[in-house]
Amino acid sequence: MKIKAKLKDGVTEVKLLLTSPMAGKEEAEKKKIEVSYIAHVTAKVNDKIVWEASTGPFLSKDPYFKFEFKGAKAGDKVVIETVDNKGKTDKDEAEIK
Amino acid sequence: MQRRRFLSLGAVAAAASVLPASLSATDFRATAPKAWDAATSQEAIEAMFGKVAMTDGQIEIKAPKLAENGGAVPIGIISKVEVTTVAVFQDANPRSAVVVFELGEGSVADLMTKIKMRKTANVTIVAKGKDGKFYSAVQKVEVSIGGCGG
Repeated sequence: MKIKAKLKDGVTEVKLLLTSPMAGKEEAEKKKIEVSYIAHVTAKVNDKIVWEASTGPFLSKDPYFKFEFKGAKAGDKVVIETVDNKGKTDKDEAEIK
Repeated sequence: MQRRRFLSLGAVAAAASVLPASLSATDFRATAPKAWDAATSQEAIEAMFGKVAMTDGQIEIKAPKLAENGGAVPIGIISKVEVTTVAVFQDANPRSAVVVFELGEGSVADLMTKIKMRKTANVTIVAKGKDGKFYSAVQKVEVSIGGCGG
């Protein structure tokens, strides 16, 4: 997972790139791979949820997100947590610059 | 300090263990499972939000009119009103619901993601405002090469 968090004029912009085939039933059959997609993503700053997404297999492969929020300062950490369709979790963080 | 941190972590872990396996406060996959199986946008929207009145003109979709690569069609969403929930639907794939965003306190409704579209179809955004009203926008996206492994 790649996270970039930039503060500008009081607004933090986060660009997030996750790694997943995002393959649903039909695509998995066609490509002869397992159904595998990220089902939920949460972004927290100072233990507060600033953004979250319930996701499905019709997002692009290696899904990309951009979101913005106010109230954070440079040096704060954006913590991203994901869970896939099988319950496997992943976690990463980036400092706001 | 260390001890305090440890204790607070314990409290968080205890609270988390009470909840189901979900990481979040609102998991739309769990709360509205039918919406994720619906084939058309209309069915999916009704399953997720119920039969609600929609207001037009407050949500702007920034998507290409012609997408060359249906595997990753950029969809930008900007709202003029404060919103708490933003959902993306399309009629190009076997099922309509793509993603539901939940915006926390202090969020700016300027979002972007990329979706798969295996053919030309409408993309529909439905957002729930802080005022409890629902807002929507529709844009047709033409796809020259389909995504979804096609």
